[in-house]
Amino acid sequence: MGKVRRISGCVAAAEAVRLADVDVISSYPIRPYTGIMSELARMIADGRLDAELVYAEGEHAQLSIVYGASAAGARTFTGSSGVGVTFAFEVYSPISGERLPVQMAIGDRTLDPPGDFGSEHTDAECCRDQGWIQGWASTPQEVLDMHLIYYRVGEDPKVMLPQYVCQDGYFVTHILGDVQVPDEAQVKEFLPPYKNHHILDPKKPQIIGPQIEPCMGPPQQYQRKQAFDNINEVLIKAHDDFARIFGRRYDPFLEEFMTDDAEVVIFGQGAHMNTAKAVAARLRNLGDKVGVVRLRTFRPFPTDEILKRMSRFKAVGVVDNSAQFGISGGAGVLFSEVRTALYDVGDKVKTVGFVGGLGGEMITHDEFLRMFRKLQEVAKTGKVEKRAYWLPFEL
Amino acid sequence: MSEFERIPSIKKAPDEEYYVPGHRTCGGCGPALCYRLVAKAAGPNTIFIGPTGCMYVANTSYGCGPWRVPWIHAQITNGGGVASGIETAYRMLIKKGKYTGEQPNVIVMAGDGGATDIGLQSLSGMLYRGHKVLFICYDNESYANTGIQVSPTTPYGAWTTFTPSGEVIPEGRKHFPKDNAKVVAHGHPYLKYVATGSIGYPVDLMNKVRKGLAQEGPAYLHLHAPCPKGWQFPPDKTIEMAKLAVQTGMFQLYEFENGQYTLSVQLKERKPVIEYMKHQKRFAHLKPEHIEKMQAFVDAKCAEVGITVPVVAAAQ
Repeated sequence: MGKVRRISGCVAAAEAVRLADVDVISSYPIRPYTGIMSELARMIADGRLDAELVYAEGEHAQLSIVYGASAAGARTFTGSSGVGVTFAFEVYSPISGERLPVQMAIGDRTLDPPGDFGSEHTDAECCRDQGWIQGWASTPQEVLDMHLIYYRVGEDPKVMLPQYVCQDGYFVTHILGDVQVPDEAQVKEFLPPYKNHHILDPKKPQIIGPQIEPCMGPPQQYQRKQAFDNINEVLIKAHDDFARIFGRRYDPFLEEFMTDDAEVVIFGQGAHMNTAKAVAARLRNLGDKVGVVRLRTFRPFPTDEILKRMSRFKAVGVVDNSAQFGISGGAGVLFSEVRTALYDVGDKVKTVGFVGGLGGEMITHDEFLRMFRKLQEVAKTGKVEKRAYWLPFEL
Repeated sequence: MSEFERIPSIKKAPDEEYYVPGHRTCGGCGPALCYRLVAKAAGPNTIFIGPTGCMYVANTSYGCGPWRVPWIHAQITNGGGVASGIETAYRMLIKKGKYTGEQPNVIVMAGDGGATDIGLQSLSGMLYRGHKVLFICYDNESYANTGIQVSPTTPYGAWTTFTPSGEVIPEGRKHFPKDNAKVVAHGHPYLKYVATGSIGYPVDLMNKVRKGLAQEGPAYLHLHAPCPKGWQFPPDKTIEMAKLAVQTGMFQLYEFENGQYTLSVQLKERKPVIEYMKHQKRFAHLKPEHIEKMQAFVDAKCAEVGITVPVVAAAQ
């Protein structure tokens, strides 16, 4: 049944890669995800993992290497942070378009400027429309589990798509947590070997990625869209099997905390929601009907789940840990998309956007308290005076 | 280096083709001839990586392609990286018992943009890590599939749509070209074989492909591939242009191993560069002083690799 180790998010990701029997890994250093590759290099040097670590000359090369390796039939892994994530941008769409289930870890970091190492979701959220599955883990345990689950979902014949497993820089990558590291036998039961019907093999020659006529493009894109439509079903089944085999059950889409009779909730993703939960628990002690909803799967965005499960609240505060300038709604991408998802319930659920934790700052207990108070005020008056707040400047 | 079967003459070259009719390259296309010879020499256990360029756009149009072996598109930026991944994957899959078969030949066919310009970093990364990949540049001296724009290998004085001749800049192209074989040759410890080839010398070209593939690590071939459209000469003159480039020293044919250049053809004398340039309208605007600059540049390039025969003008 494995054993419990006290490890960081970086080490947890590396443990998952080892357990998944990955064949080809491509590395390039950038804080804060670097620790994942250091740990994998150590495993390979010690003979605990039979994989090749290819030292790429940059992030663009990292993604190019796993594109080729995945197309040749290998299970692959790579990762990055911050401007490294954006430097590789050209290669994301080809990997998805050729339906190669590459996996990439993103340890979030701000884009420059500011030239700091701090965590922001901005880097990974830039890639949101490249045709990759994408979700955020909030603890080292969830990091390990999400990597395994995403390999299984991405490699499913109904899906065949690449995956970003995101974790907040430092708050998860560098903070230790108790992690149940499973046995290889359990992982074998959960995760079948990588098989792709369209790989480069001289015994079965085929052409991958030719130029096409404009009219040949839409069917390909539609097939990719249909694969995306299949993800939720595969994701649910994978989470069920994961719970059965490993004994840990996650909601595939939304983790709800103290929401049963909640009137107002904070909605967000990643490690900042751990702070939000602590604040919600304190407010519950005071008798306030507040809760937290944590998004686990960001792509595909669970529009129907949000509509179904969040229309019962009076006010929803969406926390974006990202800088997206000029976006609809005036906060960040989560706010924009949650508002879209809740459009069908009309004015029943009030929404407010909060941008916080930029530059890698903590979103403090006091800031979450101010957000909850603002939401309670909106719920009570039924009026949204201001749609979005940048913290700490505007609230 | 492992043993390889040398092709003794064009008549004894293999009959089998792995780059077959059905593509949409221009009449007289030099790069297409490169591809045919490379595929013939490499044989069936081969995977081609095609970074964006003419040999991607013209060969794979409408979803069909002329290869009888696997081919995958790479971005113009990352031929070396994609090849690195394929080579590593096969090595690991064979080692771990996940693939039963021989390690395939992995060949990148990149244009001069994908090899010497935007793709140079990817090439260098692949070479320095020692992947067993044959990286080939088919050099038609311009970004041709976008309609003839200047690349690092465009000769001095050549017209492209980015280097037009005008009153202020009479020669059009002001820079002298990058010499990529030499760029890569000296700084990559696992790169033991660098050679240049020409479609005017097909047996030599095919044997260099085989020798490159027989290396234990990476190899780099730089192939001269005349382009009737871009260089503006009639499509039936492609081979003549290729031969004239070698005979004038505009393109030098050699192998580079163990720090030594070995010349592939023994010229008795060199023709003046004008004998090559006068057939191509891309040089038509040049004045005598520009031709002189070109001759001086070519003389120096020839001396670098040990071509010391005199330049002799044809009898008038």
